[in-house]
Amino acid sequence: MVTIRADEISNIIRERIEQYNREVKIVNTGDEASQTISKKSKKPQYSRFTQQELPACKPILTPGLVITTLISIGIIFVPIGLGSLSASEHVVEIVDRYDDACIPSNGDDEAAKRERLSFIQNAKTNKTCIRNLVVPKKMKHPIHVYYQLDNFYQNHRRYVKSRSDRQYRSPGSEGDTKTCAPESEVDDHRPIVPCGLIAWSLFNDTYGISTKDNPIPINKKDIAWQSDKNSKFGSNVYPKNFQKQDPVGGGKLNESLPLSEQEDLLVWMRTAALPNFRKLYGRIETDLEADEKITVVIQNNYNTYSFDSKKQLVLSTTTWIGGKNDFLGKAYISVGGTCLFLAIAFILTYVIKPRPLGDPAYLSWNLNSATR
Amino acid sequence: MASDFAIAQFRFLERLLVVHGHWCYKRIAQMICYFFYKNIAFGLTIFYFEAFAAFSGQSVYVDWYMLLFNVVLTSLPVISLGVFEQDVDSEVCLQFPALYQQGPKNLFFDWSRIIGWMVNGLYTSLIIFFLNIIIFYDQAFRSGGQTADMTAVGTAMFTCIIWAVNCQIALTMSHFTWIQHLFVWGSVTTWYVFLVFYGELSSALDENAFKILTEVLAPAPIYWITTLLVTIVCNLPYLAHISFQRSFNPMDHHVIQEIKYYKRDIEDRHMWKRERSKARQETKIGFTARVDAKIRLLKGRLQKKYSLMSAPSVISQQT
Repeated sequence: MVTIRADEISNIIRERIEQYNREVKIVNTGDEASQTISKKSKKPQYSRFTQQELPACKPILTPGLVITTLISIGIIFVPIGLGSLSASEHVVEIVDRYDDACIPSNGDDEAAKRERLSFIQNAKTNKTCIRNLVVPKKMKHPIHVYYQLDNFYQNHRRYVKSRSDRQYRSPGSEGDTKTCAPESEVDDHRPIVPCGLIAWSLFNDTYGISTKDNPIPINKKDIAWQSDKNSKFGSNVYPKNFQKQDPVGGGKLNESLPLSEQEDLLVWMRTAALPNFRKLYGRIETDLEADEKITVVIQNNYNTYSFDSKKQLVLSTTTWIGGKNDFLGKAYISVGGTCLFLAIAFILTYVIKPRPLGDPAYLSWNLNSATR
Repeated sequence: MASDFAIAQFRFLERLLVVHGHWCYKRIAQMICYFFYKNIAFGLTIFYFEAFAAFSGQSVYVDWYMLLFNVVLTSLPVISLGVFEQDVDSEVCLQFPALYQQGPKNLFFDWSRIIGWMVNGLYTSLIIFFLNIIIFYDQAFRSGGQTADMTAVGTAMFTCIIWAVNCQIALTMSHFTWIQHLFVWGSVTTWYVFLVFYGELSSALDENAFKILTEVLAPAPIYWITTLLVTIVCNLPYLAHISFQRSFNPMDHHVIQEIKYYKRDIEDRHMWKRERSKARQETKIGFTARVDAKIRLLKGRLQKKYSLMSAPSVISQQT
């Protein structure tokens, strides 16, 4: 049995406490020689990102800022609107519907419809049609000639799908016609080039324009996008087996020209967004004077009579915004006007009933106690 | 939405509740409302086009655009809104615990706000779709006389969507660090960069999107003008609404933001201290609260007893 005296116990305890204090002091002063308990801090590393204290700008919508913004929008928009409107006013446009005039009968009954269809589907009938137009104002060259179709859904999903761009690009992919159904192959499984419903329904009315005596040449070069001619359609891909079986959907193609030079086809293959659309037919490179009478000789080949559609010939000049587009100018002017009106309304309400900014009386606990 | 939190010391509970709880509520509410808005604005335009495409299921946008919409082009700004947004900084949150009450009172996620954002999305989709369709209708859109095909109209419409929803989130945010600027404006820039690169791929040939920006749309002034018009028209009602609301019916955090912006808290320290003390409440629950309530009750009874005791002496004095 070991006997320990009271004073020895207190000495031992004192010693232990001093040793512990030394160790803590060593650790706190960072003495590397110490190998005792380390009281490392568990606080995570401070960084502005993790503490969400990144430098920030905190803009607030003061009345001054809002009024300035609205007025500047108004000041920018109204001139743009006026510019667009004046550009649209300068565009001269002639629109002439001819599909109802260029066929034998125009009635609504079944017999008339059948007569129209048999006329248009018969390859041997004479489809020439003469139309007379008057130029309303002087038209400066280049004057763009368009054909406009109404109620023709080039944006139908099955129609848009029915094409094979790989086949159009390279002669080696001639057989790549799977996506072109139903216009992919002739009866003995030879592929159609170009395949698909879009190419099959190619528009084939032609227009010949002349003034009193002189025929006006229509320039049909460069009506398609450059990238279509250079990359999308191959310069060594030739039409094959095209429109060789019934039913014939539209125009035929010159088999000696490669696809990249068939610009009518290229323009037609760019499917339009809406059921009423125009496509570029060609350009007239001479001026047309005001009140000039022009004669258009139309070959009314394309069948729009099996469905409720319209065909129109359009001659139009263009400006920097394109064709006739009153809506753009009017929209800009009305939005600019609305912004100015809102700015004035804001100024008036702010002058009549101002709220001092940063006033603590508007804090909810002050407001509630004020009303109580 | 995590509701399990671990804190190391009990004193951290104040920060967790008053700072992070307050921020978290507002961030999540704003993020959800904005997310509905942007997807409604985008999705409804596809539906409207069906009315013009014989309901055949043709989409006006190239598939790649629709894929990238929720992945790259509009996702990062929402994430930055949900992670970094602060209406007031953390010191103010600790000084004004009353701001936390915006959460329990559900001021930012009630039905009127949700429906308001959805109506905003509906309005945005109508404006984007119809303005683009009417402007690009059937006439030429360039001085060269070319008309716009479906891909051109779709790309122009999609550009308007990207601008409109990103400007909308910029109006919603109140705390702009470099991250927010990078994500919001970077998303818009990414769209244009994508169009340039996608337009060079041969797979874009299949979609009529080859060189869509470089050759077809960028040289046409009408494309840029339409984008500007549609963006401003889409954001104008929201801008008018928040400016009027802020001026004539401000909420607490608006007033405090203004006080800090104009540095009134430094000029008028007395006012700041007074408002801070008013923004705290005595607790109504717990042991100490019950003890305080009991003391108040007993004090009240003592007051009544004294007043009763003194009253007869008054009467006896008068008689």
